[in-house]
Amino acid sequence: MIDLVAGEWLKLRTTRLLYGSVPAAVALSFAAVAGAVLSADSAAELESTAGIRDALSVTGTGAILVLVVGIIISAGEYRHGTAADTFLTTPRRNQVAAAKLTLGAAIGLAAGVITSLACLGVASLLYAAEGATFPFGDTEVWAILAGTLGYSTLFAIIGVAVGVLIRNQVLAISAALAWIATVEHTLVTLVSDLGKWLPVAAGQAMVRTNLDDILSPLAGTAVLTAYAAAIATAGIRVAATRDA
Amino acid sequence: MIRVDAMGTTKFPSPDVFDAARFLSTGRHGTHTTAELTAVGRAVIEVRGLTKTFGDQRAVDDLSFTAPAGKVTGFLGPNGAGKTTTFRCLLGLAEPTSGAVLIDGRRYRDLASPRRKLGTVLESTGFHPARTARNHLRVIARAARLDAARIDPLLDVVGLSGAADRRVGGYSLGMRQRLSLATAMLGDPEVVVLDEPANGLDPEGVTWIRRILRIWADEGRTMLVASHVLAEVGQVVDRVVIIRAGRLVAETNVADLTDSRVTVRVDRLDPMLSALRAAGADHQLLADGAITVTGRDTTEIGGIAARAGVTVTELAKQNAGDSLEALFLDAIGGNGQ
Repeated sequence: MIDLVAGEWLKLRTTRLLYGSVPAAVALSFAAVAGAVLSADSAAELESTAGIRDALSVTGTGAILVLVVGIIISAGEYRHGTAADTFLTTPRRNQVAAAKLTLGAAIGLAAGVITSLACLGVASLLYAAEGATFPFGDTEVWAILAGTLGYSTLFAIIGVAVGVLIRNQVLAISAALAWIATVEHTLVTLVSDLGKWLPVAAGQAMVRTNLDDILSPLAGTAVLTAYAAAIATAGIRVAATRDA
Repeated sequence: MIRVDAMGTTKFPSPDVFDAARFLSTGRHGTHTTAELTAVGRAVIEVRGLTKTFGDQRAVDDLSFTAPAGKVTGFLGPNGAGKTTTFRCLLGLAEPTSGAVLIDGRRYRDLASPRRKLGTVLESTGFHPARTARNHLRVIARAARLDAARIDPLLDVVGLSGAADRRVGGYSLGMRQRLSLATAMLGDPEVVVLDEPANGLDPEGVTWIRRILRIWADEGRTMLVASHVLAEVGQVVDRVVIIRAGRLVAETNVADLTDSRVTVRVDRLDPMLSALRAAGADHQLLADGAITVTGRDTTEIGGIAARAGVTVTELAKQNAGDSLEALFLDAIGGNGQ
């Protein structure tokens, strides 16, 4: 299994995907955090718990690109016709799916660490610029960033699994983005009680977003983990039985 | 995107590279035992009652044949006959509806180290356009735990050394085909399965492929080569399996084909045909007036003609190529290419 994951990692490093998407994910989070800090009314507001949440909970914004990277890790093999070569090396396709999920999780975690550190840096500088003191000692800061790591990791796993299930890369990316942009909102409008249990809302709970009707961070983590596990399991099953 | 000049960089290797091909594949990789290499003729690939349906279409219909070690087996049939589907079932990329394909008694997915046991070139295989040829081979070597030291000499053998660090997106069709061959041989496999390997190659490349096939078969490898064009593989195959509409129509060793068919032309047909009947010679009158006789040599046929008082205008033993072509055209209903 280590060889398979190492092979997948080499595959990823020998294309240009990461070199474009990771900086873009960082920039996206960067912009979201900067916007949130600069739109605060006062230094006192920034230093409050609600202020910290407004400023830092958007650190996970870049995870949307991590989700796309996850999809490309799996569905990209069909786009370029490299899937056959992969399955010739590893005929047990569920092992391929498991290796890709493992790599996806690692990429998601790493991207989460990079964006969190970058956003922590920009937030502390902007706090100073706004005349506020960045509350490094506040556990809220570290709880949000820990949530961001989990959020990024789980979104990467979900991306890989969606790409295993939907082999058409364009369709898979469109479906995932459509879910985040509109489908989940529409469902919430239709069935409001359901809202907080949906994946994006669960993710927002993980990063402690200021919202009225939302799960606790722990419950949010559990719910998003359950979604990721369910989609990943479905992906592994389907990969093993379907003709390549 | 880098465009590679096909003339400049896709030159086929000089003959000394064939020594390199041999050098590369003499069991240095430690996968072949002497027993395996000497057991020429042992049926290594066994297709047993293979059926694959897509909806209500039977792409492969109760197909059985074998491919032995040390021989080039041509797997022939028109486009759409089911060759690629058979290969996909052989390689575990598609699940047979019924029946099985075994490699030394095992399904592909049950092989301990598939890339060392079997190498393949499939028509549908693609490359990531942004990955270089060397990196493509590195990826496979890493995941399959193969010796990465084989990569450079292999790229040399297929004539891609100069383009090894260019992105495959800029490769010509022929260069991709040669990278596919290098991929197939990366694990120094005992069994080699090729689907239309001459596709995209110029005539020089087709000759090159034939020579490589011969060398590898002579080393004891099991070679199974699919083609819809007999001329591409006709000169190199030891054995042919011909399918049409998913069914087997012929399976024979080429040596058995060329036993003793003689073509004869005479000035007067009727007395010659009567004489052949009287002599009990197995014969057939062709549309153009030639007669093919099976089981008699040219001396005997000349004698029969003399006794019948007819003049022989042409008398020739059929060569292997003619017999193979006749079998192929007959098997595919005369519509082949």
